[in-house]
Amino acid sequence: MSIDSPSGASLNEGASLSARFKMLLRLHKIEAKRGLNDLLDNPFSNFMTVLVIAIALALPAGLQILLDNGKTLSQSWDGASRISLYLDITSSQSQTEQLAESLRKNPAVDRVNVIHPDQALKDFSARSGFADALAELDSNPLPPTLVIQPKATHTSPEISEQLLVEFKVLPGVEKAQLDLDWVRKLHALLELAEKAASALGLALGLAVLLIVGNTIRLSVQNRREEIEVVKLVGATDAFIRRPFLYTGFWYGLFAGVLCWLILEISLIWLDDPVTKLAGLYQSEFSINGLSLPQSLQLIGVSCGLGLLGSWLSVGRHIRNIEPR
Amino acid sequence: MIQFAQVSKRYPNGQDALRNVDLEIKSGEMAFLTGHSGAGKSTMLKLISLMERATSGQVIINGKNLNKVKRRKIPAVRRDIGMIFQDHRLLFDRSVFDNVALPLMIAGYDHREIGRRVRAALDKVGLLSKEKNTPIMLSGGEQQRVGIARAVVNKPPLLLADEPTGNLDPELSAEIMKLFEQFNQVGVSLLIASHDLSLLAQMHYRTLVMKEGRLVQDQIDDSPGINHGEEFHERDSDMGFFTKDGLDDLPDENSVGDSSGHHDEY
Repeated sequence: MSIDSPSGASLNEGASLSARFKMLLRLHKIEAKRGLNDLLDNPFSNFMTVLVIAIALALPAGLQILLDNGKTLSQSWDGASRISLYLDITSSQSQTEQLAESLRKNPAVDRVNVIHPDQALKDFSARSGFADALAELDSNPLPPTLVIQPKATHTSPEISEQLLVEFKVLPGVEKAQLDLDWVRKLHALLELAEKAASALGLALGLAVLLIVGNTIRLSVQNRREEIEVVKLVGATDAFIRRPFLYTGFWYGLFAGVLCWLILEISLIWLDDPVTKLAGLYQSEFSINGLSLPQSLQLIGVSCGLGLLGSWLSVGRHIRNIEPR
Repeated sequence: MIQFAQVSKRYPNGQDALRNVDLEIKSGEMAFLTGHSGAGKSTMLKLISLMERATSGQVIINGKNLNKVKRRKIPAVRRDIGMIFQDHRLLFDRSVFDNVALPLMIAGYDHREIGRRVRAALDKVGLLSKEKNTPIMLSGGEQQRVGIARAVVNKPPLLLADEPTGNLDPELSAEIMKLFEQFNQVGVSLLIASHDLSLLAQMHYRTLVMKEGRLVQDQIDDSPGINHGEEFHERDSDMGFFTKDGLDDLPDENSVGDSSGHHDEY
């Protein structure tokens, strides 16, 4: 026993560095098991805690899944950003075809559909029910029209608008039109929902920290006597903290797995009606669930929150417990 | 081993628990601390184990001035002190073995080493057969002996005992005291707070009497064969606990003061 060793610690001669490291690993195993047993000793109330954490995590995670699906869906509606160019009514067929051809060479353009005035009039009279009235007309009032489908990379409202400005000044173009309004609304809505999901995630993450922290605080108080005893026989704060940190970690792990289960079951439950609904719109759309990396990320975040919550709580509370 | 220089302790409620106490207990000495309850016995032990800090004066343990020990260093100081309590302070959700192993686990010993030392300590207090029991299954005397095994398993040079026989009948008390004497014979310093005057009368050791926070009597019993500190050097110990089972590295064995040298400071 080297009482006058500089560290002042009385780690007797026996414990070499590697032995101490091995002991530390062993201690971690013991403490991890003890933390787990603490949870299992009181299964009902601990299950409640785990469930509360799982639900708190499931809300933002579920919203995020819905948003991801919403984005995929909005991308599949790329038709929304089609641009219609109404040409000068005097344009000849060859001029129209020439313009269409030059537009097809534009790197932002995917497809160009040419609608000739005769074709347009035929369609219009067939669909509008004004066939008789239209037949009275001397000449065809409809201009030749080019319907431009931008490439998928150029469908955002900003770029669409740029294209619109670009096409408007082309020779022979009388009028360019883009039905941007509802695309813009959809994007704004998605953006808003994303912000809301982030805020919700932040708030509920904080709530998880508080739930774990409070649970650990109670657990520290329940074990007050034990903490006093181990302090009396020379335990450091780190030693005392360890089992509580493991308890927090186990809360996080179980809650993460439970949250994953809740989400998967909800998605399975939603999948059928969504497919039916999509079927009504002639869409093949079906909900995408959590990928493997996303699932691991979810469980990882949950474990991290459990650990952090208990770490924030335990340090403060064991400091206040001093042997009497 | 223990030095008090003009030590006073005033609790936040204004109570003066200790007033200008001067005291020296040498390495290898065994002493009793007595006095009415509230006389300052417990406060003295609390200052030594850093459960409380002195309001003024200096407390020096193992050559270390406790005034200068920072909060994070308190565990290191406590590992050099074995503490025994009237209410044993055992952990009732763990086995006898785990209770005794606690100081070694905290100090980071190898688990084989822990097994060896814990069994040696339990053997010494006569509880080897009960290592798997939980403390609740033991009698009061047995629980106290588990507490003693836990206090000595780390081989600290100093043992503090706060009313160790308070809840025990005279026969068990005598047994506990015999254990203490055996530890003392191999060089462990002991300070035992007790108000069991009849027990003290039989023991013939240095007795410190406290009254209202002052040390009013420091009486050394000069009966023959009594250990007043340094003289045990000459004595060859036949202590099973410290010599058999290859535990020859226990509190500097029989040669306190020559091998490691740190006891020489006193």
